[in-house]
Amino acid sequence: MLFLLAAKGMLRNLFRSVLTLLGVAIAILAFTFLRTTIEAWYAGVDAASQDRLATRHKVSITLPMPRAYFEKVKDRVTGITAVTYANWVGAVDPKDERAFFANFAVDGETYFETYDEVVIPPGQLAEWRTDPTGCIVGEALAGQKGWKVGDRITLRGTIYPGDLQLTVRGIYGTKRKTFDKSTLFFHWKYLNEIADASRKDQIGFLGIRVADASQGPAIARAVDELFANSDTETLTESERAFNLSFLSMFSTVLKALDVVSVVILCIMGLILANTIAMGVRERTHEYGVLRAIGFQPRHLALLVGGEGLVMGIAGGVVGVAASLVVVNAFGKWLEDNFGQFFPYYSMSTTSVFLGLGLAAIIGLVASLVPAWSAARLEVVQALRRL
Amino acid sequence: MADPIVELRAVEKTFTRGRQPVKVLDGLDLTVEAGSFEALMGPSGSGKSTLLNLIAGLDRPTAGTLRVAGEDLGRLSEGGLADWRARNIGFVFQAFNLIPVLTAAQNVELPLVLSPLSTAQRKQHVATALRIVGLADRMDHLPRQLSGGQEQRVAIARAIATDPKIIVADEPTGDLDRHSAEEILGLFAKLNDELGKTIFMVTHDPLAAERAKVVRRMDKGKLLVA
Ligand SMILES: Nc1ncnc2c1ncn2[C@@H]1O[C@H](COP(=O)(O)OP(=O)(O)O)[C@@H](O)[C@H]1O
Ligand SMILES: [Mg+2]
Repeated sequence: MLFLLAAKGMLRNLFRSVLTLLGVAIAILAFTFLRTTIEAWYAGVDAASQDRLATRHKVSITLPMPRAYFEKVKDRVTGITAVTYANWVGAVDPKDERAFFANFAVDGETYFETYDEVVIPPGQLAEWRTDPTGCIVGEALAGQKGWKVGDRITLRGTIYPGDLQLTVRGIYGTKRKTFDKSTLFFHWKYLNEIADASRKDQIGFLGIRVADASQGPAIARAVDELFANSDTETLTESERAFNLSFLSMFSTVLKALDVVSVVILCIMGLILANTIAMGVRERTHEYGVLRAIGFQPRHLALLVGGEGLVMGIAGGVVGVAASLVVVNAFGKWLEDNFGQFFPYYSMSTTSVFLGLGLAAIIGLVASLVPAWSAARLEVVQALRRL
Repeated sequence: MADPIVELRAVEKTFTRGRQPVKVLDGLDLTVEAGSFEALMGPSGSGKSTLLNLIAGLDRPTAGTLRVAGEDLGRLSEGGLADWRARNIGFVFQAFNLIPVLTAAQNVELPLVLSPLSTAQRKQHVATALRIVGLADRMDHLPRQLSGGQEQRVAIARAIATDPKIIVADEPTGDLDRHSAEEILGLFAKLNDELGKTIFMVTHDPLAAERAKVVRRMDKGKLLVA
């Protein structure tokens, strides 16, 4: 009966209830959408290869190391099956400078052996190796730009001054979903040629594949000991940790998203609290009647709290359902076009339950104060208010 | 002589309006016998509703003692008082005060929710109460689908559903036309005669007072000797 009363109470002002419910739903939609985005961002990190290490400058990922480190590691460290090196170039397409895509200068001989999830038709790979200004592009990037094998393209340097004149020699796919499909690779030798004296013979990071993943930490230590007490000390980490420090360049954005998602929920909670409080104020007289008849303060608190809970859960269900639809619709598109950020863009079960749970909690919390004031009503005063 | 069901001794009630204390009830003594049908009359603002609220356990006196239905109300906690109201008091208000989203039957069932009755027993109580007020055929109507007189009869059914000893009514005919008012008063007389309910009714209406067995008058917070 109390439940019936709560339900009917909500139906009484149907328009307002529906608006409030939609508000909760949209907040939950925004929340789960942002969560999914953040999770997708880290999904690449979590799905990192277990048997790979990366070596970088100890101080910062943005500082270079001498190329000689590559040879030294290759010759002196045991237990590794492949080593390679690359530089983050950061060049842009002058036709669309704001459309970011990753580009690396890589060692033609070793890079795709170390990162063997990259699939390139053997003929194309051979072609590229023989062309000093050739490049290999991801199938998503090629599709986006309309590039085909044989096309000549120009990239404008940002970190490295000058233009890069490249010819597309191959288009790659990937065996693992987490490997970005929108990256461009070209020869490190070409970059080294056009680099000014201060940047010559420098590399950004080393990629190392180990024979036995459990030996990873020991090998990482062995690598760093090679360069200990030199001018340029190194930090070798698992690929996962390396990706994380790479992501840390974007950490401000991620943190902002995180904060925004929480702020949205807080605002929603306040709006919901206000709506519920409004309902309580309107029904003060009715609550007075219930109290006169013999209902206890806790009954009224239950009535109001129940309303908040139902609002929260209903809004949560609608919001999560909507975000499932939205995430599915945009997920594929994002994976294809922004694979470097979202290799896995789909909603996790955690997100679903987090969305539902938070919606319910918000509903409850939002109704705390109104429930408390309903329970505290003085019967005679409430009855006089009409 | 019947047992007293309501006994007030030296009851005072003071409200503070702003910073000014206003003594609304000024040392009242009152005894109501079980089975009585009493009307309380008096000018507006003389404290009638305040007195009724004290008797019904809705409010507490500033001083004095109240024994109602065998209970010293001063000893009950807030929650205990609510329980006591549920068991002993039936309320009839001037403005009917039905819950607009509930049907007649649901409104009548409302106070029974607090009792230990089973669903089937509750339904039976509801049917009986609605039959007594002559609205058995309006069970599923919402308050707004009923006339004022019918609404007040549903309110009376709600008041008697738990079979309380005392029915308190604050100007129950104040919002009704003459004909409906007569019906309601007839109903009160019947509840008093046939079911032995003690009825304590505040009213402005001399015709209503005529139906009562005892008429009391009040002025400026004091009961006048009849
Ligand atoms: N809660 C309250 N706070 C302040 N004054 C009140 C309160 N309730 C009643 N009063 C005052 O007490 C007086 C008597 O009120 P009431 O008992 O309602 O009179 P009646 O029912 O006889 O018209 C009035 O002057 C009224 O304004
Ligand atoms: Mg009054």
